Amino acid sequence: MTTSRRIFAQLSVFVCLFMAACRTISTYDQAAYEHATSAKVDALTLMDKATDSYSSHAKEIEALNLSLQKAYEYDKGRPLNQITMALWDKLLDPNRDLLGGFLREWKSDGPLLPKYVKNKKKQIGEGFDVIVGLESGKIKPSDAASKL
Amino acid sequence: MAQIDWKNIESQTVTLAKTLLNGYAQQATQDARDFQAKAEQQIAEWLGDLAKGDITKKKFTSLVRGERDLAEMRALKQVGLAQVALDTFTNGFMEIVLNAALAAIP
Repeated sequence: MTTSRRIFAQLSVFVCLFMAACRTISTYDQAAYEHATSAKVDALTLMDKATDSYSSHAKEIEALNLSLQKAYEYDKGRPLNQITMALWDKLLDPNRDLLGGFLREWKSDGPLLPKYVKNKKKQIGEGFDVIVGLESGKIKPSDAASKL
Repeated sequence: MAQIDWKNIESQTVTLAKTLLNGYAQQATQDARDFQAKAEQQIAEWLGDLAKGDITKKKFTSLVRGERDLAEMRALKQVGLAQVALDTFTNGFMEIVLNAALAAIP
């Protein structure tokens, strides 16, 4: 190996290590994107039924909670993913007024008024869009590796 | 001895920073404006619903609080996108340096 090639090889290793160390947020993850979009569809579909009693849709609510839990736990296991986790926490917190709060209200107040459900669907749909939007804005793993 | 073109690295880095950070700042400002306009319009709409009796006062309050939660989520998203811009800049900078080093190898 010539001296210049050795220098280049050493520089490449240094650059790769430096870049990995300097990353501040996780890269894009297709599975996380799919979990979030799928949970959004499930949530909005179920919300349409909130004009009925909570107990009559207990199984669908359980299925939605499972879908949300899968998305949440998947994101929780990713490194440098604190912001996405904070977004999920806000969306799902029963003491706030997005999806967690909506499910709590439905359970405690009984059937909800159609206009309210319609307005909340729009709002909660936007909450999911924020999570999906951040994920799709992240650097693709192939771009992160770039030419190195 | 290989000579790295540091002037070229500097000029490319400045261009990269301008493109990435200006683009990010413009996008974030536009998003904030859009959100404010949309929130104002929606609150006016919900007040109309409240006046017509289509929603209760309690639910109106929940909608407004939900909008506040959504604003917090959007702010967090912007923090995340700023980090993405920073990481993109770091990647780009290292690539510029590496390419300059490669070009200097005889």
